[in-house]
Amino acid sequence: MSGAAIAFMVVICTFVWGGFLLLLTRAVDSERRKG
Amino acid sequence: MSSQEQFSSRWGLILATLGMAVGTGNIWRFPRIVATNGGGSFLVAWVVFLILWSVPLMIVEFSFGKRARKGTVGAFSRIAGRGSGWMGGWVALCAAAIMFYYSVVAGWCLRYLAAATLGQLRGDQSEAFWSGYAGSGLAWFTHALALGLAVMVVWFGVRGIERVAKVLIPSLFLLVVLLALRAVTLPGASAGLEFLFRPDWSALGDVRIWLQALTQNAWDTGAGWGLILTYAVYMKAREDIPLNAFLIGFGNNGVSLLAGIMVLCTVFAINPGARDEIVGAGNEGLTFIWMPQLFDKMPGGQFFMVFFFLALSFAALTSLISMVELVTRNLMDAGLKRKKAVSIVGLAGLILGTPSALSLAFLHNQDWVWGVGLMLSGLLFALAARKFGLERLRREDVNADGCDLRIGRWWSFLVSVVVPIEAVVLMIWWLWEARGWDPSGWLNPFRPESVGTVIAQWAIALVGLLALQRWFGSRQEPATLGGGSEE
Repeated sequence: MSGAAIAFMVVICTFVWGGFLLLLTRAVDSERRKG
Repeated sequence: MSSQEQFSSRWGLILATLGMAVGTGNIWRFPRIVATNGGGSFLVAWVVFLILWSVPLMIVEFSFGKRARKGTVGAFSRIAGRGSGWMGGWVALCAAAIMFYYSVVAGWCLRYLAAATLGQLRGDQSEAFWSGYAGSGLAWFTHALALGLAVMVVWFGVRGIERVAKVLIPSLFLLVVLLALRAVTLPGASAGLEFLFRPDWSALGDVRIWLQALTQNAWDTGAGWGLILTYAVYMKAREDIPLNAFLIGFGNNGVSLLAGIMVLCTVFAINPGARDEIVGAGNEGLTFIWMPQLFDKMPGGQFFMVFFFLALSFAALTSLISMVELVTRNLMDAGLKRKKAVSIVGLAGLILGTPSALSLAFLHNQDWVWGVGLMLSGLLFALAARKFGLERLRREDVNADGCDLRIGRWWSFLVSVVVPIEAVVLMIWWLWEARGWDPSGWLNPFRPESVGTVIAQWAIALVGLLALQRWFGSRQEPATLGGGSEE
């Protein structure tokens, strides 16, 4: 794989899955706070 | 509303809505579209439209359902005025028309799951297997089976939907992750990753890539279909909207990305020479003819083929359940009890899905007509929200007590200006494209994928809905938190 493809893969996957996990963590925290 | 008619928790709502959003389009359409539209460049446009189309419309749907506590017809009447029930009727009609053939598709997935499990699906005979099955009496039986399963779940109400989603959606995620891991560890799979993620910035100047990316968002996230609205009817009063909408949008697109990795790495590792033929084979060609051939040549392929069709079946069934619930909810708003309503939906689906079960041409016609219809549905949501007042909706519903993420004025701008432009441009573009598919018969309403068939079927539907407008208004009870008939 070329360096450009690896870098782009990291950016896209971080945005989509990282975004999902971040949002999920926030929802979990919120539910914990609300009891 | 009785406690039985609410999701028991936020996770129940999120999993059910993810189940609605993640369908066969994520697994069999996304990899094909990304492969034929520039790979990495397409991904940029696809992520942009997640924010510019899917998430704003999901927020609109959540706020409509939560505010009105009614299905699509009642929600549009309540939010955009009594004269707007036909708009909700259009959204319901599109979803119902899609349900009629989607149960056929779900049936195909079940049949292939059974065939893969029983070892009947051999790669060298996959074409003959598909030809012998599609459009046969057995395809009608599997359509009936898939619809029967969805009806059975909806029969037990929102708690039934929640219970099923809690099992199927985590399982689906796990299966897709396992399949993607298997695919990336195949020798030669890095060529698939290179193809998927190679950025070609000059391709971003191609308007077709942007339109395909917008279409993919319109078709595979479920935004603007009315299905999120339907599930939002059952959300708790102090439930968050914005964070849930983002979570579902990102979760859905995350599954698409995994499916893209899984399919393209498998194709490049097993049969790189035929990659153009494979991704150009259409949804059914890729899934039901090529994938069995690829799995057949993969170490442990029989085992992973079962996983693949199991994931596809779970994705199809959870989406089908939401469509059955959408129509059922509207009938309940009109005064029917849930069990009677779902029985009528099941019977109608069985009968009206029969032509699609027995004829691929009919199924493709319906997929074309109502797929474009979904873009009009998205436009109607935006127009109704504008009529109600986007700032009011944002203040009173989206950013209400209990929200975990505050939404700014950018959302009002996107829904009032950007989404309507996107919807109109998409509809015009697809109809323009269809002229080229059949230059001599593009206006002929009896051709399966013509402009004429869209105009004819939409005209019949719209005339019928406008004729029913007065009835829509009279049948809607005043919306209360306890609205709807429930057993």
